Amino acid sequence: MRLVPCRAAVKRRTVLTFIVLPVLLVAALLAAVGIGAVRVAPASLIRFLLHEIGFHSVALPDSRDITILLLLRLPRVLAAMLVGSGLAVCGVVMQGLFRNPMASPDVLGISAGSSLGAVVSIATGLASRSLLTLPACTIAGAFLSAACIYLLSTSRGTTSLLFIIIAGMAISSLFSGLTSALLLFSREYEVSQFIFWTMGGLDGRGWQHLLFSAPVLVPGMITLSFFARELDLLSLGEEGALSLGMHVERMKRLLLGLTAVITGVAIAVAGPVGFVGLLVPHLMRFIVGSGHRTLVPASALGGALFLVLCDLLGRSIAPPYEIRVGIITAILGSPYLLSLIVRIQRRGARGAA
Amino acid sequence: MSNALLQARGVGWRVGALPILTDVDLDVGRGELVGIIGPNGAGKTTLLRILCGLLRPSSGAVWLDGREIGTIERRSRARSIAFMSQETSASFPFRVMDVLLMGRYPHLRRFEPETADDRDRARRMLSYVGLLGLEERSFAELSGGERQLVLFAKTLVQDTDAVILDEPSSSLDIRHQDRIFSMAQELARENRAVITSVHNLGVAAQYCSRLVLLDRGSVAAAGRPEQVLRTDILDRVYGIRTLVSPNPVTGSMTVSVIPWRAGVTGSRIHLIGGAGSAVNLTRELYRLGCELSGGIAHEYDSDEKLWKSLGIPCVTVGAFSRITDEQVTEAAAMAQAADLTVLCAFPVGPGNSGNLHLAARARRLVVMDPGPEDAPRTFFSEEGRALFEKVSARAALLRYEEVLKLIERGSDGPGDAAERDG
Repeated sequence: MRLVPCRAAVKRRTVLTFIVLPVLLVAALLAAVGIGAVRVAPASLIRFLLHEIGFHSVALPDSRDITILLLLRLPRVLAAMLVGSGLAVCGVVMQGLFRNPMASPDVLGISAGSSLGAVVSIATGLASRSLLTLPACTIAGAFLSAACIYLLSTSRGTTSLLFIIIAGMAISSLFSGLTSALLLFSREYEVSQFIFWTMGGLDGRGWQHLLFSAPVLVPGMITLSFFARELDLLSLGEEGALSLGMHVERMKRLLLGLTAVITGVAIAVAGPVGFVGLLVPHLMRFIVGSGHRTLVPASALGGALFLVLCDLLGRSIAPPYEIRVGIITAILGSPYLLSLIVRIQRRGARGAA
Repeated sequence: MSNALLQARGVGWRVGALPILTDVDLDVGRGELVGIIGPNGAGKTTLLRILCGLLRPSSGAVWLDGREIGTIERRSRARSIAFMSQETSASFPFRVMDVLLMGRYPHLRRFEPETADDRDRARRMLSYVGLLGLEERSFAELSGGERQLVLFAKTLVQDTDAVILDEPSSSLDIRHQDRIFSMAQELARENRAVITSVHNLGVAAQYCSRLVLLDRGSVAAAGRPEQVLRTDILDRVYGIRTLVSPNPVTGSMTVSVIPWRAGVTGSRIHLIGGAGSAVNLTRELYRLGCELSGGIAHEYDSDEKLWKSLGIPCVTVGAFSRITDEQVTEAAAMAQAADLTVLCAFPVGPGNSGNLHLAARARRLVVMDPGPEDAPRTFFSEEGRALFEKVSARAALLRYEEVLKLIERGSDGPGDAAERDG
């Protein structure tokens, strides 16, 4: 199997990707705001928007639909988009940073650290003080695990593919264990949070969540995309990057810090949704190649689309019940992770590991 | 200050209390191709990484063009010195062109895109290493050798005054090995300073203008290849017995390993050879630990050269001259003292018929019977043939394997066995 097709094909695919993905994203948004326990015509949102920007000849949809759209569906879909792109971009960056196709916020335990931060803030009552304490705690938790991973990965000269993964698993299970332990001692009304902070979901996400997350996630992702060339260099080897004059450790700390912030905020919104950060970058790499200049924005778009669709799927499989988006991504993601491991094993035999 | 582009003074590197490098001095000027040689673990890679500023030495310092390398701003350093690592694996499928363009990183500012010139340079360097047409291929899918050539091209794309190569040919076949070292020589001719670590000592001797031999972290010898590649030095550093000889075709030095010896077993064997007829037997018996003597061979004959280089006592005669009676007498003393004398299968002419007289005086004689694949024993005179018939009449005629078996049975008296077999 050729992983990289010829240049013309890659170029064509790249251009196509950046046309097709936004179109699909808008379509998914319209579908996602329409579908749910109460069906709203997909055109309603367009009609409402047109009316609002001055086309008064367009009839407004009825007010119940507007309420559902604006207060329930739209913020939820936008949150899915933001979280999806944030996690996917973090996945790309971590994979490049650690030269490891299996790295992602959830595999490396960053997500578990965030969850722990969230649960601590709830259990201590800090979360009820201000809407911003919870995201602050998830960011702190993400930083904590990112620091562990960074120290572990730099303590040895060269880190093998599996070392990082195993270290991530250890950190991940440590923090998940602590999360579970905390929840055992929590009061009954907090236990409902248990499910949320172990698998994540998008139910009940409103504008207030977007208000604190968008100002962090959007500039954060844009900043990460500025480091495309550095990510290219790092993913080809730290020694090479060092000899080409890069401040490797400084760059790693900066990039890892940024991913910790983005992951922390994304998880404050949606809980530890798994596999987005692992799956989307690989799919995108398959389509647009490994160059981070196109891979980062493509993953942002792909992650948004993926999570919106997963959420939509979860809401429409068995209405009125909702299957949490974290369950959907896990069901879709686990087989992919397995196939990835098998492929890496095979390549390991060729000495590419 | 000397005019060396790259200078190392008293460079040391230790991991905890364990010294990896101690007190290494090195000057490399423009136009030089310096080879770093030494056994595995001698500190070659560490030294190279220190020389290009990737590692800060625990003691001593490195100057690049008169400035201490640690004080140079990193990108500016990377515009002056390039490093090709041994590491060639790739986790992600980058295109070859992307990999080459990474060499332009120190020349580009953030947000500054690669220019057409950069691409052109990358393409030229790819064509220079002989891989034009692979631009769009995935780097990860190339063979190990092709990856090394691409990484070499990448250091050329970086366009620096000093180039440091760590085992640049470790996964290359001899054609590409020759190519990469010729290109390194060319870099030196372009007035750059090139330093490379090399495992293959012959290659090091052939291409490098100067060699530095590292032994457990310190410089054991440095200088021109013929000053460094000496048996006494190499034997000590590598802990084996080596043989340094000029290659008859290329004129450069080759280093070979002399086979390990089982210890002298006591059997004394005298070999009568010439025209290379005793080479295989000499090597095998030497390995088995026999105490050997040889003769009478003509000077510059390959038998004579082997005996001399292994330190086997032998009687020689000037090239193309006739063996004299004195020489026969001298060699006869050896053949008398030996437990067994082997008459190898060489062509007999007037010049070396003395060897047959010698054989006649041996204490115990075995005559080698040339196998179907060996050169047959030829005679250039009827006198020689008659002499041979006379000598061989009272000796066993044995094949190569039979001779070895006889001697291996060895210490309980090869002479008796010869008689029994005869």
